[in-house]
Amino acid sequence: MHEASVALSLIDVAAEVLREHGAARVSALTVRVGAWSSVVPEALTAVFPACAAGTPLEGARLSFVTVPGVGECPVHGRVTLDVRQGLRCPACGAPTPTLLVGDELELDEIELAGSDREDL
Amino acid sequence: MTATNPRIVTVRQNILKANDHTAAENRAAFAAAGVRAINLASSPGAGKTALLERTLRDLAGQVSMAVAVGDLATENDAARLRQHGAQAEQIVTGTICHLDAAMVQAVLPRFDLAGLEVLFLENVGNLVCPSSYDLGEAARAVLISTTEGEDKPLKYPTMFNTADVVVITKMDLADAVGFDRDLCRENIDRARPGVPVIELSSRSGAGLDAWFAFVRGQGV
Repeated sequence: MHEASVALSLIDVAAEVLREHGAARVSALTVRVGAWSSVVPEALTAVFPACAAGTPLEGARLSFVTVPGVGECPVHGRVTLDVRQGLRCPACGAPTPTLLVGDELELDEIELAGSDREDL
Repeated sequence: MTATNPRIVTVRQNILKANDHTAAENRAAFAAAGVRAINLASSPGAGKTALLERTLRDLAGQVSMAVAVGDLATENDAARLRQHGAQAEQIVTGTICHLDAAMVQAVLPRFDLAGLEVLFLENVGNLVCPSSYDLGEAARAVLISTTEGEDKPLKYPTMFNTADVVVITKMDLADAVGFDRDLCRENIDRARPGVPVIELSSRSGAGLDAWFAFVRGQGV
């Protein structure tokens, strides 16, 4: 359970984008979470409001795009992996040693509201 | 300027990029000093500290080693490790369940890196959170003990999936607890196909040669 640490990092990344765009606050965020990322969206949702309190992200809506693992089977090509089966082709069981996608933890997009000027 | 309407900005940035940046700095510091940093991760009680104690003792005088050890609350592990003559620095993480690159960077000035060959980074006992945090290590060793159950690699695939080597500890207890070696190795290979596996006992010393070769960076 390291979602509080992840939430604080998420807020740092979002605040940087906010500054670059001269916006006042963030009203919504979308996060891409891979099945192999070790991060549980529900836990991140639970801790996010407390972590965001007092920041320009306070009250922002947090939503997720979950990304399944994808591997390369020597026989079946690109296959979607089941995290419970490990890195094995779901069709033939062959090892798919490299996770092509599915371990990401990314701030995908944010919705900015307001500009610096109106706060001055 | 009038108030602007909400606008969507595509970011597509790694949330842990600050950690990865610091990890890259650590990695550069280790490379400049010629230090091999090894990140050890496992569940609590799998035998990380016991393996390090044995390693410090057996390789004393042959390999110059030190340890940075993470723990939520106590200095117990560092105290244990210092008994073997090596420098051991505790990183007390408070309520944080993993080491991150900044915690490691903060403790590095306490070491004479130029005089070291190997720096062990003993992570907090936890098979989930440490997997997300690159510390700047050259290699990551994930330990699993024979007493934990053979399905750990499938329960915690993200940790095992980042391992450069998997170490099965407490092999001296394998028979007593009915450890299914083949099943465990199959599960490890599912989580990380092709990863090297070392079976050892820190108590009896069996299998340590392969571990010591890994410590020295001579493969497994």
